[in-house]
Amino acid sequence: MKKLIIAVGLLAPTMLFGQLDRSIRPQAGPAPQINIEDSEVFTMDNGMTVILSENHKLPRVTFSLVMGAAPSAEGKLAGLAEIAGSLIMSGTENHTKDQLDQEIDYIGASLSADENSMYLSCLTKHMDKGLSLMQDVLIYANFPEDEVDRILKSNESALISAKADAGTMKNNAQAVANFPASHPYGEVMTEESLSAITRESIVQYFRSEFTPVGSYIVIVGDIDRTQAEAAVNKYFASWNGAQPHKAKMPEANQNTGNRVIFVNKNGAVQSVISVTFPMDITPSHPDYLKLKVLNGILGGGVFGNRLMQNLREDKAYTYGCRSSYNVTEYGSWFEAGGNFRNEVTDSSITEILYELERITEEYVTDEELAMTKASMAGGFARSLESPSTVAQFALAIIRYKLPKDYYQTYLKQLSAVTKEDLLLVAQKYLKPNKANIIVVGNEEILGKLTQFDSDGKIEKMDAFGRTMIDREKAGITAEELFKKHSEAVAMGTSGKKLTKKLKKIKSQVVTTEMQVPQMPQAMVVTNAWAADGREGMKMEIPGMMVVQKEYFDGTAGGSMNMQEGASTLTADEIAARKKSQGLIPELNYETSGMQYELLGIETRDGKKYYVVKLNDGESETYDYYDVNTFYKVESTVIVENNGESREITRTFGKFTEHNGLMLADEVNLNIGGMVLKGEVKERIFNEDFDLNDFK
Amino acid sequence: MKQFIITGLLVSISFAGLSQKKIEFVEYDLPNGIHVILHEEHATPIVAVSVLYHVGSKNENPDKTGFAHFFEHLLFEGSTNIDRGEYSDLVENNGGTLNANTSQDRTFYYEILPSNQLELGIWLESERMLHAKVDNEGIETQRSVVKEEKRQRVDNQPYGTFFQEIFANVFTEHPYKWQPIGSMEHLDAAVEADYVNFYRTFYVPANATLSIAGDINIEQTKKWIETYFASIPKGEAINMYRDFETMEDSSFETKYGIAKSTLDAKNFMKPTDKKAAAVVTKYANTPVDIPRTKKATEQLTEVKKVVVYDNIQLPGLFMAYRLPEATNEDMFALQMMSDVLSGGSSSRINKSLVERQQLAQFAFAFSYGLEDAGLGIFAAIASKDITLDAIQKAFDAEIALIQKDLISEEEFQKIRNQYENDFISSNASVAGIAENLADNHVYNGGANKVNTELSKFMSVTREDIQRVAKKYLTQDARVIIEFLPKEEEGSGK
Repeated sequence: MKKLIIAVGLLAPTMLFGQLDRSIRPQAGPAPQINIEDSEVFTMDNGMTVILSENHKLPRVTFSLVMGAAPSAEGKLAGLAEIAGSLIMSGTENHTKDQLDQEIDYIGASLSADENSMYLSCLTKHMDKGLSLMQDVLIYANFPEDEVDRILKSNESALISAKADAGTMKNNAQAVANFPASHPYGEVMTEESLSAITRESIVQYFRSEFTPVGSYIVIVGDIDRTQAEAAVNKYFASWNGAQPHKAKMPEANQNTGNRVIFVNKNGAVQSVISVTFPMDITPSHPDYLKLKVLNGILGGGVFGNRLMQNLREDKAYTYGCRSSYNVTEYGSWFEAGGNFRNEVTDSSITEILYELERITEEYVTDEELAMTKASMAGGFARSLESPSTVAQFALAIIRYKLPKDYYQTYLKQLSAVTKEDLLLVAQKYLKPNKANIIVVGNEEILGKLTQFDSDGKIEKMDAFGRTMIDREKAGITAEELFKKHSEAVAMGTSGKKLTKKLKKIKSQVVTTEMQVPQMPQAMVVTNAWAADGREGMKMEIPGMMVVQKEYFDGTAGGSMNMQEGASTLTADEIAARKKSQGLIPELNYETSGMQYELLGIETRDGKKYYVVKLNDGESETYDYYDVNTFYKVESTVIVENNGESREITRTFGKFTEHNGLMLADEVNLNIGGMVLKGEVKERIFNEDFDLNDFK
Repeated sequence: MKQFIITGLLVSISFAGLSQKKIEFVEYDLPNGIHVILHEEHATPIVAVSVLYHVGSKNENPDKTGFAHFFEHLLFEGSTNIDRGEYSDLVENNGGTLNANTSQDRTFYYEILPSNQLELGIWLESERMLHAKVDNEGIETQRSVVKEEKRQRVDNQPYGTFFQEIFANVFTEHPYKWQPIGSMEHLDAAVEADYVNFYRTFYVPANATLSIAGDINIEQTKKWIETYFASIPKGEAINMYRDFETMEDSSFETKYGIAKSTLDAKNFMKPTDKKAAAVVTKYANTPVDIPRTKKATEQLTEVKKVVVYDNIQLPGLFMAYRLPEATNEDMFALQMMSDVLSGGSSSRINKSLVERQQLAQFAFAFSYGLEDAGLGIFAAIASKDITLDAIQKAFDAEIALIQKDLISEEEFQKIRNQYENDFISSNASVAGIAENLADNHVYNGGANKVNTELSKFMSVTREDIQRVAKKYLTQDARVIIEFLPKEEEGSGK
């Protein structure tokens, strides 16, 4: 065989000696044959299917164990699978988490798990040790209370940050738009469902999901059939469990026309757009490969794809516009979109729909097709160096009942795809007239979106895909709200009495401890305020670093932070600062030049809030006041800098009396998705401070 | 119970032997001096094409530092036959990926492509070697990119200058005294001619190793190499060819005494004109003078303490010991010693300084072996209210301990396991193999060292580790750099 190859090489056309035109670019040779060894398959008495793919290139072996159960809707416990998955490696009855880590390190292996799989990679000679640890986790994972608490807490923070993350908001709306609530893909984890998840439900999930019946173990690497059989018998034969969950998946949602879904994000300067729809296709369907090529040309694959060319290169509406597909056994969908400037939101939707329509009406060009195929072929070939890709392929062949040589002939199948195929596939799966058009953005653009909705009625959703009720009229004026608020803070005092009460407070220094995710040490924030107009703020990790400092002496000020260094306040910043001075800034809005607008009453999670929009000339702020107590419970400030917007949300709680005022002793910060939970540790009144501490 | 498992494991490992498999390759020199290394394996239908140029920051003129790294950027700008910005498109649109990196000793470029695009990869690298675009437009673009890179990686990074401080204080003469990123002033001050000269000196066949690994047919690969690389003119003839492409007719004729019309780009080495043939031959037989550095001779003879004030909150301690060059036999034991001290979270320094005594936020040690010299570096960022003296004492205690007592059998075995695993993983990809082969050829005395390196590590004994710790961690001859917060400058602290 080898000799034959060499002979072919010799016959290749040789060039005239020394003559070389370097401007002629070499052409690709014929698509290479993919050398994926045929895998062997056998079953075990406990219901496991073993898939073995030998590869003796390196003395390594990987074991990927994948459960056979279909995902199931979790209803009130939405989010359970993900949380349980992230806890599997937290310890067993025989090993603490530290001991597990240490023993895995000792043999230089890696062992990981998620909601329905487990993966071991090690040198073949350490296989026994590795498998004994894998077996230990599989059978004896014990979900220690403290780890469960830690993971639940970190998910609480993740949900808070989701409210500020347009991408997550889009994903949530998309899930609800494409699938019914009874479908596992139509579920969204909320604060309510998270709080219903207990250690018991996690253990229960693990016991019913991780069962040998219907599971697959894919072994790839330097191991032969005899060794593989011995290994699985030794470590997995004693593993027993119930029948896996098998549910009939509900149908995906079907639209009769385009449906616009809007998710409000206060003060957004960009819209996140997704044009999305479910597709009736599974990974084993022969159209799947054609769909991949189609998507490569439309908006996946190389940089020159149509969406990128049109919306970025030609129109400059965005930094990136892409399309992608998710195809699974249980439900599949398509999405196209990206982030777009507010003012071009409608034009962008028009162009995305145009590209979707165009590709369902005309053939793609030969050049597009060739370039996308070449790029896909290369990516496919490079992916094969990773044993986990090979394991996935071996599993897909068994699981989706693909032809045995599906991946060996993948490149040939790819090269056989024609533009005629692509037109048929586009017409079959793309639905530019029955799409869900999801927009997360500023409500200012809402009016421009009606044109895209087939019945002219835009649906509104909150950050978690729940139906949003339109804001009600406030019934009071902004000035009345500010008055009610200041009275509430002053515990009923108003008018001159309130002025007198406030005059007695010359200064306040507040110390707040904030918990930073993934950091053992709390951050300490000191806020100083004096009646003479001085203000200071310092954020530090005591003894380690000062993250940020700010000061204002009434007329001038400056700030210092770790990334950007020191800077002084500009005239505009000083003017803005002067618009919200005082212990109760609402008292001064009418005279300070602050622009304000009472937008109405918003209902969130069954609770009602007045929403006020402020503009001090530098930034926009959205303040939320409880309709019953009139306390300010939330404030989101949006800072725009060189066309990029950053937002910081503070939520207030635990209102407690201090010096005759009801003040929030709990302050949580959400800075661009990072959530810091804060508790006021100390308030010192009427003791002067040195502003130099904040310089 | 736990004790039992670990003992059992030790026994099984010591009898298991090494897992390494031999890496086969062929190697040869082209007449123009390019060293070629080919490794054939068909596990995956991809190929890695790499060229290692034996030029790093140590080859720079002291007034023109940063050139080697700058070229790493510049040489993606294109060539006579490749438009600006097209180089990476050609790779990516054909399903490949590419990158490059620069150190004190080398500049390394590579592409990973589907194996049916091997000829494209060979052509691309030959274009880079023969006639890359070295002109003002590219220089301007890349200057701003490199400046941004320096801002991000050095200037705005707390303690970001520690490497610079260490090298500048250990090496007073040898060009290791400056860093690969170099001086932005030097880059700004340099003119197009300076850049062109650097290209003409170091980017020549005799300074290059072409290493290709993956799904290749050796005979066919050799043919393509013959076509694209062997055709690159030898010796100074390459620079004559570059002049032929870029110079005006008259200046070319003045310089070489023959008219451009007597030469043919497609057949440059064999002109039909006899006079032209003689000139080309003369230049081909004149080797390019590639300046080489010598082994560093500086030895530390005393404790040299330096204080640096930086934009930091916590003080940092950085210590350096002088180690031998990378090829010295002692480097095997020295590297293992560093890993006993600092390899991973269960290592001695982390357990002692960070976890148990809580003196430092981070602390680590590593051995740095270069072509002309080596350094053993210890570094720590102090915890709150901890002085650098306390850290120094803790480091010294660890050093005293590893000099006084043999490391435990269990520590020894863990290090050996980690080396074996890391070593095998480094040869898991064809790109890794191409790089290891080229590196071993240029710096370690032969490409085949790739097959013997692990056994060198495995023959290191606990006694060797103790011996090198005593020999090289010289407490009376080292550099100690203290990083202190700027606020403390002038306060006498």
